Amino acid sequence: MHEPGLYQFSTVTVLALLAAFYGGTFLITLLIGKSREDADAYMVSNHGVGFGISAASMTATWIWAASFYAAATSGYTYGLSGPLHYGLWGALMILFIYPFGIRIRRLAPKAHTLAEVIHARHGTSSQLILAFSNVAGSVISLMVNFTAAGALVAVLSPLSFQAGVIIAGLGVLSYTIWSGFRASILTDMAQLVAMMAVAVIIIPTVLYAMGGPEALLANMDRLSDEQASLFSREAILHQGAPYFVAVLAYAIGNQTISQRLFAVRQDMIKPTFITATIGYGAIVIGLGMIGLMAALMGVEPLGGDANNLIPQVISTYLSPLMIALFFILVIGSLSSTADSDLTALSAIMMTDVYGKNLAKDTPCPRKMLFIGRLTMIVATAAGIVMASFALDILVMLVFVGGLWGAIVFPVIASMYWKRVDNRAFTCAVLAGLALFTVARFEWLDMSGATAVLFEAMAAIGGGVVLGLMSFGFFGRRLGLLAGVAAGLALADYGAGFLRDYPVLLASLVAYGASTVVCVALSLVSREEFDFRLIGQRVGSFDEAGEDDAACVGNAAPVKS
Amino acid sequence: MSTFLFALYILVWPAASAAVLALIVYAVLRDYRAAKREGRELV
Repeated sequence: MHEPGLYQFSTVTVLALLAAFYGGTFLITLLIGKSREDADAYMVSNHGVGFGISAASMTATWIWAASFYAAATSGYTYGLSGPLHYGLWGALMILFIYPFGIRIRRLAPKAHTLAEVIHARHGTSSQLILAFSNVAGSVISLMVNFTAAGALVAVLSPLSFQAGVIIAGLGVLSYTIWSGFRASILTDMAQLVAMMAVAVIIIPTVLYAMGGPEALLANMDRLSDEQASLFSREAILHQGAPYFVAVLAYAIGNQTISQRLFAVRQDMIKPTFITATIGYGAIVIGLGMIGLMAALMGVEPLGGDANNLIPQVISTYLSPLMIALFFILVIGSLSSTADSDLTALSAIMMTDVYGKNLAKDTPCPRKMLFIGRLTMIVATAAGIVMASFALDILVMLVFVGGLWGAIVFPVIASMYWKRVDNRAFTCAVLAGLALFTVARFEWLDMSGATAVLFEAMAAIGGGVVLGLMSFGFFGRRLGLLAGVAAGLALADYGAGFLRDYPVLLASLVAYGASTVVCVALSLVSREEFDFRLIGQRVGSFDEAGEDDAACVGNAAPVKS
Repeated sequence: MSTFLFALYILVWPAASAAVLALIVYAVLRDYRAAKREGRELV
């Protein structure tokens, strides 16, 4: 798979780099003192992780290999504003979720997963919908990250794609399996420090290796008018807007985020999320600038594959030492996300599948740990197989995206509005997903009354997105105002227009339909939920099972 | 666009990364010292 024009490491060098990275990471995990883990620590540490480690872990987890490649592709394709339209919205995903995170943590300070909180609020069907969406997201993420490792190893060394996939999979599993989440966040810190240091060095080095800002500016005529504008309409419509719509959905649908939310010291949630927002944005937008610089220098991506842009620029303009640093940067980014996915999957299987359903709230902590580790092994194997066979996951990806959009309003509303019940939550998600599917796969002819109906639903969805964001920061009144204003504006602007953009239309419809159903059913519901019950129902598994009674089948439930 | 502004537009991101990196390293060291002083683990 070697592309001519790309630097090649020898097999020994690339194996040495991988051994140094994964060996060093494994050694870091030996700093974790306890040889015998407990179930709670395996999932969320001690609920009191400090600001530094939490911010580092949140940033490292949110940055994956695709962040660099996609940001650079955006810079290459859309010019000046391209990196912003990838990195800025990705960063804001972290920022916009923290007000809701503070509320959720206040309701359930000892939680392990968001689905567990939903179980305490609504019951099993709502919980499993959320758990399924989290599992699907993490499995996809694992596959994508292992694929990125395989592709990197294959283009920069004589080793095969499969070899890269297997080494990355086993490497990540080796340092994560014993201590779980604690290993993940401790190594995230080291991986982030390495990633940031490399990014800080590489970006200016590429700029000056290309001749400096003057040389690049002299080539501005290579950019189209749209590319040369910081306010490119094309960049907004094709890159920024679809990504913006997904801002809340990605963060709610991602257990890796909620796991860190439940682990960080409660008073440090806000500074942690703000620091991660800035850190993510700075690294990803900065590396996206390499795509812009490549466009200015007239670089053509090898084989027409935009994913080759960054390796190609690094190979062309930098020394072998810098290429090795770049190699570590990518391996670090994908490994930090993959280990977070493994710990997220294990927490869901331990808490939501075993603890809350199979064990009916009387779990044995030792069995939980076994299930968590077994989950990691199975998930790694699945990720390796899916990546190795290059399975086409487009349909799954689309479906999960729709599901994430459909759960946003019901999840957030459930944390604030006492009238939302299990029926409203479940029906809302199913309705949102159903209409999303119809719009996304164009099962109905989008014309006439059908198109008007879907565009109206999408306008409501747009209002919901902006309304929720405003609500998180400014409260109910301004949230409602912003939501109504955005909905009306979109209804006016999007009429007769949104039907031509099925991806954007479907995403907005998922938000809109789930909101309409959730609100309608909640208004007719007689539920008056007492939010204090959530904290009582969600507790420590180790405290409940500390006498090991649960392990022989006669324990009391975890809490009330 | 002037050369200065263009250079700033590209270099502000690694500069911001460096600032966040320094903040995180400082915070981790502070957390480490606090954990050691209180006889508990960092994570």
